[in-house]
Amino acid sequence: MEIKVGKQRNVRLIAVFAVILPLFPAACALYIYSRTYAKSLRLGLEITPAEFSSIMSRAVPGLLGMSAAAILIALVSLSFQTITQSRILTPSMIGFDSLFIATQTVLVFAFSTTGGLFESPYINYFISAGVMLACSMVMYRFILQSSGNNVIYLLMFGLVLSGVLENGSRYLQLLMSNNDYYRVQAATNVTVNNMNTSLVFLALPALLIISVLILYRHRTYNVMSLGAEQSQSLGVFYAKELNLNLIFIALGMSLATALIGSLTFLGLLAVNVAREILKTHRHFPLFIGAAVLSALALILGQSAVELLQGAIPVTAIINLVGCSYMFYLILRENRI
Amino acid sequence: MIEIKNVSQSYGRKEAKKTLSDINLTIRENKITALVGANGAGKSTLLGVLSNITPILSGTVTLGGRDVRKIKTQDVAKKIAFLKQSQQMSIRITVGDLVEFGRFPHCRGRLGQEDKRKVDESLEYMNLPDLRSRYLDELSGGQRQRAFIAMILAQDTPYIFLDEPLNNLDIKYSVEMMKIIQNLVTERNKTIVLVLHDINFAAAYANHIVAMKNGQIVREGCVKDVIKKEVLNTVFDHDFHIAECGGKNVCLYFDQVQN
Repeated sequence: MEIKVGKQRNVRLIAVFAVILPLFPAACALYIYSRTYAKSLRLGLEITPAEFSSIMSRAVPGLLGMSAAAILIALVSLSFQTITQSRILTPSMIGFDSLFIATQTVLVFAFSTTGGLFESPYINYFISAGVMLACSMVMYRFILQSSGNNVIYLLMFGLVLSGVLENGSRYLQLLMSNNDYYRVQAATNVTVNNMNTSLVFLALPALLIISVLILYRHRTYNVMSLGAEQSQSLGVFYAKELNLNLIFIALGMSLATALIGSLTFLGLLAVNVAREILKTHRHFPLFIGAAVLSALALILGQSAVELLQGAIPVTAIINLVGCSYMFYLILRENRI
Repeated sequence: MIEIKNVSQSYGRKEAKKTLSDINLTIRENKITALVGANGAGKSTLLGVLSNITPILSGTVTLGGRDVRKIKTQDVAKKIAFLKQSQQMSIRITVGDLVEFGRFPHCRGRLGQEDKRKVDESLEYMNLPDLRSRYLDELSGGQRQRAFIAMILAQDTPYIFLDEPLNNLDIKYSVEMMKIIQNLVTERNKTIVLVLHDINFAAAYANHIVAMKNGQIVREGCVKDVIKKEVLNTVFDHDFHIAECGGKNVCLYFDQVQN
């Protein structure tokens, strides 16, 4: 009986991955098609090999950047949901991406005279990731500990924090010189169409390291989903794990936000759809499933936008779908 | 051996909010120790401190003569198993999966032959093999509690600490649970500490009772020493009537019963 059930579960996982994994190269192909042949067909122009490779030189970093950001968002969202014992919270919902924008603004504002420092996207990233790390360690550690994983409290905190940070950033931006203002805009107004491609080559090794570290701990996450106290009594040093996860989340969210801007609902969507179709509590398949689904959603969405000639940005579509899905989750589970 | 010395703990940094103040306690080996007291007396906090889950403000908790804070969490988990009060789960898992979690301190989630054998044995002991592939949310309260005890058993620790194990159980299941706990002491040589809300369950099944009030131990001793009118009246701020029934003390606390 037990063996049969175990087998059935594995069959489900294999079937799901057999469907979604091949979809990934297909989505990449569709994206390249949408930027090359679809465009040339529409305009009635032949595409020369030189033009093709020039488009590819922009499309490939774009694909890499989107995949890296989407995968990072999915991984840190799932780890965040496990440590907060919630299926609805994601790091962006409690203000991690507003924190990134505020950090960028404050950095430019405070160091406007030494502007050259921030011309390099790498130095900029490392400084802002460092600041974010420090802020999130102090704030979220305090908040997570004092709230006792009270989701309502965390959501309220996130709402207020996002509001304060966004308006604070806007206020500082008003005080800035024009040059500084444009510098902030260049760093924070990134979208999928206007990606910070210079960061892609930093993103890939970072993605690799973060995903290896997170996936390596998948068994610990399984136990942590029993809750702080119970997992501590099963030998998980919870305070250490919490800090480690806050580091992953700060690094991952700052990188993803620096690459493609704020995408509030992608993590929620990817993680919950992965739970829904994989029907498992085990984190290894969940992490991989959520990462693949997240990348698929972003790349397929972006391809659709290209094919429809950019009528609406993909972030709007994802946020719309994700937001409706969140309503559905709240109504179905009848709790937050 | 678990011993705590001069332990204080408080929520918030204020002295006034002390949940435990200056507690000294030695856990009796191979016995059932019941922590009793009114709401907010500090029973659950004390249990959390004993299990190395709640950090302490001052004092020491020693496990086998060593300060618990200096022992790795994983190694503490091989000695002490703790079951929290309400098992509200954010995930949907089967009984088998849950019991396998009990092996985590030993194998970090990679189950070997020995671990699988312990899991099977614990399920067997708690009479759960048929329910192994059932999801926890499909079970009755009593079955679910048995599944959690099976997890604790799979953890294979000499010490088992239970925070209100009878919570949400009806009378039949409560008695069944207390019998299981008694068997764990006699058959498996476990040392058990549990928080009990119902003083009569403590009187009937515990070997040693620790009565707490306002974060302090008011009285500890064997059942006859603690289940006394004058002790309980102070501990619970209530008028008790102690009756004897079959050689055991039974507490009556209804105002209709006159002394």
